[in-house]
Amino acid sequence: MSDAAPDVRLTLPARPEGVAVVRQALAGMADALAFDAAVLADMKMAVSEACTNVVVHAYEDADGVLEVDMLADDSALTIRVRDHGSGIHPQPSRTRDVPALGLGLPLIAALSDAFELHGSAGQGTEVRMTFRSSRDGDPADDNPVQGTVGDDGRWDADKSRETPAS
Amino acid sequence: MDANPIVLDDAAGDVVVVVVEGEHDIYTAPTLRERLDEALGRGGGIVVDLTRATFVDSSVLGALLDARRRALEAHQGFVVCVGDTMEPGVQRILDITGLVPVLPVVSGRDAAIDVARTTGNGASG
Repeated sequence: MSDAAPDVRLTLPARPEGVAVVRQALAGMADALAFDAAVLADMKMAVSEACTNVVVHAYEDADGVLEVDMLADDSALTIRVRDHGSGIHPQPSRTRDVPALGLGLPLIAALSDAFELHGSAGQGTEVRMTFRSSRDGDPADDNPVQGTVGDDGRWDADKSRETPAS
Repeated sequence: MDANPIVLDDAAGDVVVVVVEGEHDIYTAPTLRERLDEALGRGGGIVVDLTRATFVDSSVLGALLDARRRALEAHQGFVVCVGDTMEPGVQRILDITGLVPVLPVVSGRDAAIDVARTTGNGASG
């Protein structure tokens, strides 16, 4: 079980090409822990979104680091994604040519079994996610992603989805 | 060699297929946007084929939604297609964002080409 997988800390430049490296490390860690494939897929997605938030929002145009800790216990993997940037941003970044949909945190909440966000202006931000190796239910049922595409063709987090016709 | 290629296939003539393979995230999203721009510039319908994609994140959804919006404004058909089975790294994000009926996502490239051809104004006929 967890004896097979050491705790892991990655420190990378907060750049777009680093996010795939984190996913690869995560896949190796989950493999050592014999995680269910569906949970691994959720982990990769949630951690990617957390790392993307760091890359896009944490440092404006300056260089900075992306830190990822992976901590295993008998039944779960906890992943902390941290930056030392300017703190939680309410606004999408204007400094990259990839506009954010604002879906990052809602996806993390839906895909993880537990999720905490820590940080304040000037202190950096830490997203802490826990994934259980086996699940009773689907966390996305408890924390569904809200919103859909609005009439203007853009993602609208406040717009209700149409109920499918039965 | 590119393990995560994005290429245009215009064998269908009036509908161009943007073929997306492998893992795609914030690093490759700018390339996807370039390819989608190129596809939009052809003036016909657009199909984005995710059959061989193994992972897409919200950066990719952002690129797809922007392209969809521009296609609709220009009366060009826009459809995403997948294979008979989807990788969890593709299916999960489409499911929980509810985007399958919105984009829309259909099964099979030929079916997607037909839909793209018949939903845009640029369709011949």
